[in-house]
Amino acid sequence: MQMTAVEKEAQTSAAAGSSNREIFLPPERQRIKDGGTPHVSAKNFSIFYGNFEAVKKVTADILSKYVTAIIGPSGCGKSTFLRAINRMNDLIPSCYATGTLMFDGEDIYGRYTDEVQLRKKIGMVFQKPNPFPKPIFDNIAYGPRLHGVKDKKTLEEIVEKSLRKAALWDEVKDRLDRNALGLSGGQQQRLCVARTLAVEPDILLLDEPTSALDPKATAKIEDLIEELRGSYTILIVTHNMQQASRVSDYTMFYYEGDLIEYAPTKQLFTNPRDQVTEDYITGRFS
Amino acid sequence: MAERPVHEHIKDLSNSLVILSDKVLKNFSLSMDALMKCDNMGCSQIKLADGEIDASEVRLEEQCLIFLALQQPVAKDLRAIITILKINNDLERIGDLAVHIVERVPEVSSEFIRQFDFQKMGAIAKEMVQKSIQAFVNRDRELAEEVCDMDEELDAMHRAVFKKVSTEIRQADVNQTTQYIVSMSVSRYIERIGDHATRIAREVIYLVTGEIVRHSEGSFEKLIESLKD
Repeated sequence: MQMTAVEKEAQTSAAAGSSNREIFLPPERQRIKDGGTPHVSAKNFSIFYGNFEAVKKVTADILSKYVTAIIGPSGCGKSTFLRAINRMNDLIPSCYATGTLMFDGEDIYGRYTDEVQLRKKIGMVFQKPNPFPKPIFDNIAYGPRLHGVKDKKTLEEIVEKSLRKAALWDEVKDRLDRNALGLSGGQQQRLCVARTLAVEPDILLLDEPTSALDPKATAKIEDLIEELRGSYTILIVTHNMQQASRVSDYTMFYYEGDLIEYAPTKQLFTNPRDQVTEDYITGRFS
Repeated sequence: MAERPVHEHIKDLSNSLVILSDKVLKNFSLSMDALMKCDNMGCSQIKLADGEIDASEVRLEEQCLIFLALQQPVAKDLRAIITILKINNDLERIGDLAVHIVERVPEVSSEFIRQFDFQKMGAIAKEMVQKSIQAFVNRDRELAEEVCDMDEELDAMHRAVFKKVSTEIRQADVNQTTQYIVSMSVSRYIERIGDHATRIAREVIYLVTGEIVRHSEGSFEKLIESLKD
């Protein structure tokens, strides 16, 4: 697929697809510094659980170095779409995808795609913090070691750099040898972000990363997203619409597997173009 | 579409705004009557009513701010609250202008005031305010645009007063100078009421469409054109 023609193709596909809804492609894409290449491009992309189509013929570009929030009611397909980007859905036997999903010009579901390398480039943080029952240092060094880094000094540098990026270094630098399970929930979640950053990914997928955290820890994670904005392409699934409006540049709204609206966040939360979006974000859903 | 308590709350705030607009319009009518009859007897009553309008405006603003803080509305709910806040402010200013008009009554005679068409100017301004509020209640963009168009007629009448005063004040008796200045001020007050009604109408257009139409294309050119006259 030619990336330069994505927008035109997307509109054509949307018109030809099963859904009659207009797909709102972000109008500011030409401002992207890396030449306007979308980081992830979906074209007529569907995900099935057996016969059930959980994500329906989605056509959209995820823009490089921006924060994109994915919102929608439970079961709308938002997490399924997120997990498809680093092929986490492959672990579910009945799950399969149709259409194309491209990452940096490579087909994510291509026959020769190396899933391990893909997940190195596309890291993921889950709803519940899941540190390994190991020392803090080993948690961060786990990924780099897996990818062949053995030099102690190099590992120390990676650990410090990752913890600094995750705004956790100052809190744990004197106890790197302690078990990570001894950290608070918010610290554990930032540790998981640091662990993801340690393998130098291009994309961060955050699946409801603060839903198990208190407001203070949530604020730290949101501050962290702000810090990482511009350095990574970030996708965040959240049920908290205020959080989506606070942290993201663009917002996707899914409903019953359809991508209903995809627009700059400031537009979607002040003047959405679709009535379904309007009803959902204003709480008028029956 | 399911309505929830939060949306009933927005309706309550809208109703409070409509009640406030009734009070303001009533005070404006009383003020214009006092001007045309040069009757200063009702001045204190109008000022008293304006005090109530000011208190209502503050109360409504407080309710809107609490709503924003606690409910964090988005989309059309957000636009509704922002619009209520802005219209609330415009109505309070219209109330002040009604008081300004009645305060000038002791300085003019009824014979002098009748040489200007303030009756008609007042009627147009009142109709503009009524229609702008009606447009808010019915979310009626067309009616709001009609109000914006009506403002041009009011502006033209104000300019006519300005021309008349600036011409005649030069030959006027010293005793009449004050009356000319008062007439000029009254014309200006009524014209400002029309401007506030236009602002309300533009807020309604924002409420309905999400587009801010203030300072829209051509408004600057119109201003320059009017100054040439």
